[in-house]
Amino acid sequence: MRHKPPARVELLRGTLDLLVLRSLLPGPNHGHAIAKHIQRTSEDLLKVETGSLYPALYRLEANGWIAASWETSDKGKRARYYRITALGRKQLVSEQSKWEAFARAMGLLLKPVEEGTR
Amino acid sequence: MTSLFRKLSWWLRRRRKEAELREELQFHIEEEAERLQADGLAHDQARWAAHRDLGNMTRLREETRTLWTSAVLDQLAQDVRYAWRTMWSNKMFTALTVLCLALGIGANATIFSFMDAILLRSLPIEDPRSLIVLSWRMPKRPTPDSPTTIRAFRGVMTDEGAGVRALVWPYPAFEMFQAEDAIFTSVFGQHVANGLLVDGGDGGLADGTYVTGEYFRSLGVRMVAGRPLTAEDDRLGAPPAVVLTAAFSHERFGSVDAAIGRSIRLENVAFTVVGVTPPEFFGMDPARSPDVFMPVHTGPLLRAQFAPGSTQEMYRDPHDYWLIVAGRLKPGVSAARAQAVLGQKYEQLLAANTPPEQLQNRPTLTIDQGVGGLDGLRRRYREPLYVLFVMVILILTIACANIASLLTSRAAARRREIAVRLSIGAGRLMVIRQLLTESVMLAIIGGAVGVALAFWGMRLLTQLLANGQEGFTLRAELNWPVMGFTAGISVVTGIVFGLAPAIQATRFSIFPALKGTRATDVEVAPRWRFRPGLSQLLVVAQVALSLVLLVGAALFASTVSNLRSTEVGFNRDGLLLATLQTARARYSDDALKTFYAQLRTRLQQIPGVNDVTLSWSVLAAGGTYVRPVSIPGTGIRRSEINVQVTGESFFKTMQIPILAGRAMTDQEVATRRAVAVVDRRFADEYFPGTNPVGRTIEVEGEGALEIVGVSANARHDALKGDIRPVVYFTYGFDPHPLYQMVYELRTIGDPMTYSSSIRQAVREMNPAVTVAGIRTQTVSVDRSINQEIVFARLSNGFALLALLITCVGLYGTVSYRMVRRTEEIGIRMALGASRASVLRLAFGHVLLLGVSGLVVGVPAALAASRLVERFLWGIQPGDPATMAAMVTTSLLAVCLAGYVPANRASKIDPIRALRAE
Repeated sequence: MRHKPPARVELLRGTLDLLVLRSLLPGPNHGHAIAKHIQRTSEDLLKVETGSLYPALYRLEANGWIAASWETSDKGKRARYYRITALGRKQLVSEQSKWEAFARAMGLLLKPVEEGTR
Repeated sequence: MTSLFRKLSWWLRRRRKEAELREELQFHIEEEAERLQADGLAHDQARWAAHRDLGNMTRLREETRTLWTSAVLDQLAQDVRYAWRTMWSNKMFTALTVLCLALGIGANATIFSFMDAILLRSLPIEDPRSLIVLSWRMPKRPTPDSPTTIRAFRGVMTDEGAGVRALVWPYPAFEMFQAEDAIFTSVFGQHVANGLLVDGGDGGLADGTYVTGEYFRSLGVRMVAGRPLTAEDDRLGAPPAVVLTAAFSHERFGSVDAAIGRSIRLENVAFTVVGVTPPEFFGMDPARSPDVFMPVHTGPLLRAQFAPGSTQEMYRDPHDYWLIVAGRLKPGVSAARAQAVLGQKYEQLLAANTPPEQLQNRPTLTIDQGVGGLDGLRRRYREPLYVLFVMVILILTIACANIASLLTSRAAARRREIAVRLSIGAGRLMVIRQLLTESVMLAIIGGAVGVALAFWGMRLLTQLLANGQEGFTLRAELNWPVMGFTAGISVVTGIVFGLAPAIQATRFSIFPALKGTRATDVEVAPRWRFRPGLSQLLVVAQVALSLVLLVGAALFASTVSNLRSTEVGFNRDGLLLATLQTARARYSDDALKTFYAQLRTRLQQIPGVNDVTLSWSVLAAGGTYVRPVSIPGTGIRRSEINVQVTGESFFKTMQIPILAGRAMTDQEVATRRAVAVVDRRFADEYFPGTNPVGRTIEVEGEGALEIVGVSANARHDALKGDIRPVVYFTYGFDPHPLYQMVYELRTIGDPMTYSSSIRQAVREMNPAVTVAGIRTQTVSVDRSINQEIVFARLSNGFALLALLITCVGLYGTVSYRMVRRTEEIGIRMALGASRASVLRLAFGHVLLLGVSGLVVGVPAALAASRLVERFLWGIQPGDPATMAAMVTTSLLAVCLAGYVPANRASKIDPIRALRAE
């Protein structure tokens, strides 16, 4: 390990689905790439547990939000590629707005404490 | 929903799915390893790190798998496997339960298939629900002494309260309804014509229906060949056209297409075949299956031979009721509005044609939604079917109670197994679910076997109901509604009989059961005294229910035997009836009468035949002929009175006593004297206090007749109801050609042995004469009460079935109980109890169960028998003798079923019983 890994943040319950759906928005991808994409985009703050990624993928597939197919990866290997469905997009939009509202509420609630100490 | 389907399809492909997941995870590890290697780790280290990163792969697979291995399905499959094992290891128990259930479910499916055919299924015509049938009701049944507007009536009059209901109308009324464009989209009429002679007899007899021009168009029947009859065919003077059914055209012409354009003679009128109806079409009455459909206006052509002179009167006479009228209402016209408008029109017709004093008791028009066709069958069988349906439901209830009690007893024996399953962590719900799966599976197997039994039961029942009638067309079949019903009751019964025992089976303390102590120790106190558990209560219920069925069956059986022994006024023993059809022989009127006389002489020469006579109709067979009779000098005019055309030695052969005057002589028959004999009812009613002998009566269509004698009463129509007045005259006198006559032969020994001699005699006299049927008078009477006989037979069968199932249940329950108490009995015997006392103890319990059942059953049976009172004849619903007999029967059966296991218990060897512990 060449550098100290940054302090990791625990994933909140239910956010993994949102992150997976979001990471599939640019295009289809396989499980490993999805995990790495989330990790990289969050600047290594979030690490997706492989142990919960695959059950989540199958759950999303069962819900019809993503669809899977076997394709050849850029390195020529057979891999299971997931892509987001129309239903998944709809779900993503509603989840995202919920999350944004939640984040905003958290921000508002946390601010007055700082003001009070002044 | 889609996600459920996806899961189901994943579950079905779970092995491939598993392999896919393994491959996907493998790919993940390789990718991760490659990435780490690129970061500078050694090959091996990178692989290990990748594995570590993935974590516990088995657990991961497990977790992912839950997504497609639907827990519900998996558990179900497991439950089914387990249940199958249990059932397989208890073959005897399984076989008994499946048998009980199959009998119960089979009986239900059979009766339901008939309900479906008669009461539920609609007609094979376009939109049967929008059909309406015009009927009328009259406040009182028309009687001879109060004349009404109805002078001639050809149809069925059914009693409805104090009044009557009928479906037939005079033709002028039909024409009037037809003109009501604002009410009807279409109106049509039909009239039954049975027993038509086909091609001078070469084609046998056919049943027909006269129909008006709109008939086929209105019903929306598409011909499979040719064209339907139209209004153009249905007018006086049109070339006679006929439509055949598919079956009849196959029989007569080989195929449906071959029939078109061919000529067919019906009653010596040549018709041209213009169309053929589809095979499923049978008209509007599920009870009939006509072969031919003729225009109503061809009626006079056919009738001309029977009633010369009355040809076209039937289309003009507003007092002649014969045409059944049905139709479809215009959209937006309610039945109530149609009834108001048509009713008013009909009133006008009545007022214009009938003297006001005859309008006191007059028909009122009503509209019936014609969903089930011209409900002949429905009317006749609806109530009996409901009663039968209740009976089979009771049987199924008994079967359920029976199996529930067996399961409860067995659950007690399976306590140990259940305790083990509970103690190693199975939830109580899981065990209940498991036990329920078992019972539902039993029920499904029982249902499957039941369907097979129903197949056979339906054939049997159809045969019983048809009872030799040709052209009986009840189409009971195992169709989707019937199968659905059967599947439904199977699953429901499975849950019903399984739930209570399953709940009870899991409600006990585990530890004693685990320790292997006998089940009796688990109970707080030994149940020597009667504190009934679930299984005992179920046995009591079974005894009570089967008593209800037994009492019902006994009452129906008494009804039949009462009907059979009803006084008919003549001696029916050894009487053989042969029905002859002579139209084919083309005799002139005189020659026909000579033939009848000669044939009678010929038949009299058969050894063993004592007397022979002939008559127009069979006596006491449910049907009779009516003619308007007037009696000069008394003011009685055109009274509807039964008439019977008789031959030589009629009263002697039938053994009907002559009370005054004399019978008609053979000489009078030959010389066509206008003489008559009246029965005692007639004399009492129309000549009260005076001697009718020597008086004259006028029979319409026949002429004036001199009464020469008075006979004792004899029954000419149905067995139920009063004997009605009858006028007898001779066939020699009757001016009509009589193409059908019944010969009555008084024989020695078994009457049926003479049938071949009769056929031979007829053949030798004239081969063109057809013997349409030979049967004994007893069989003929039985046919007229066929419905009651079938009803009695079925209910007897059902009652026996119920009793049998109950006995099996009792036997099983008592046996299990005794097995569980072997050790206790061993101790008792070791302490000096005698065998007899043990037997007394065990048998006392059986008696207690039986008697409790009967105590509950007697009032239930009394109440139930009151509900079926209207099906009874000559016996009261709560008849004490019947009740006592059935209580005794039940008690005997209970004792028999209980004695065997009780006796076995008393033979227990105390040493062995104790050592087994």
